Amino acid sequence: MNYMRAGHIYLIIAVVMLGISFFKERQKTKEALKATLKIFYTIIPVLVFVFVLMGLIQAYVSSKTIASILGQKSGILGILYAELVGCIALFMPPAVFPFGGYLHDNGASYGSIAGFVFTAILIGITTLPLEIKFLGKRFTVARNIFTFVLAFFTALLMEVILR
Amino acid sequence: MKKLLKNDALQFLSLSVVITLFIYALDVSKGMIIAKTVYLTFFEVLDIIIAVSIFIGLFQVWVKPPTIVKWLGKGSGLKGFILVCTFPILMGGSLFTVFPLLKTLREKGARQGAIASFITAWGGKAPLLPLETKFLGWPFALVRLSFIILFAFVMGILMDWVVEKPTKLV
Repeated sequence: MNYMRAGHIYLIIAVVMLGISFFKERQKTKEALKATLKIFYTIIPVLVFVFVLMGLIQAYVSSKTIASILGQKSGILGILYAELVGCIALFMPPAVFPFGGYLHDNGASYGSIAGFVFTAILIGITTLPLEIKFLGKRFTVARNIFTFVLAFFTALLMEVILR
Repeated sequence: MKKLLKNDALQFLSLSVVITLFIYALDVSKGMIIAKTVYLTFFEVLDIIIAVSIFIGLFQVWVKPPTIVKWLGKGSGLKGFILVCTFPILMGGSLFTVFPLLKTLREKGARQGAIASFITAWGGKAPLLPLETKFLGWPFALVRLSFIILFAFVMGILMDWVVEKPTKLV
């Protein structure tokens, strides 16, 4: 049987969808391709930066250290640490998963990873001013606090289910 | 905005190069570890990133913000609430792109809880599933996606209770 990378399957699906889009409306498809290029160029530098970060950790931090901070044994504290890292991490969402997977390969628990993923995507120190501007101070404060707390319980549940 | 993005891109790339060269100068073997990690991971994800970019690009063009606003309405009623907790999972983009859209929703009369549920559900990030499953596996991705709906639900209820009420609780 021919081994096929998952990435190739996604690419084929994406190209088929592009084909359907092109068939339906050319102009829109052109716009979509332009947007795609822009997204690609925005994502790549951040990804490269995160990969450098992963390399740095690889070079200087042992798996043991990661496991002792974010592993199953550190339990609740591990999830909280991971959430805090997620809050201050300036990653774009596409960079969150490779980094999370990397941490998991080095002994971080699923619960910690989940905590990190939730806060990295949903809480951003850099987006706070924008959120206040668009949605108000009261909303922003409440939403970010609730997100942190709910992410904790959700991550805990995921740890129990996936361990 | 475009200029800003380009500068951002340059900043990230130059920072990456500077860090790698700096470590390489300090310790050649550690520098090589970083270079190898970047090289291997990059080509491991390149096809996925291209596919994901196409998905998000198509979505952006075919489902424009006014359409989303029309579909979601005020996000009130059970149907609206369920929609607000699930539909945004399909969207791409960063928080920078959803806030303006949410402001419009808010101006159309959406409740605070619906807005908060929208943001949470948007954190589901289904367009990134190829990346998530590659690095964390299908079980993690599927469990996380199901929980994000629950997360969004509870979030909406809490936010309606605390923020929407005229009496100041916070």
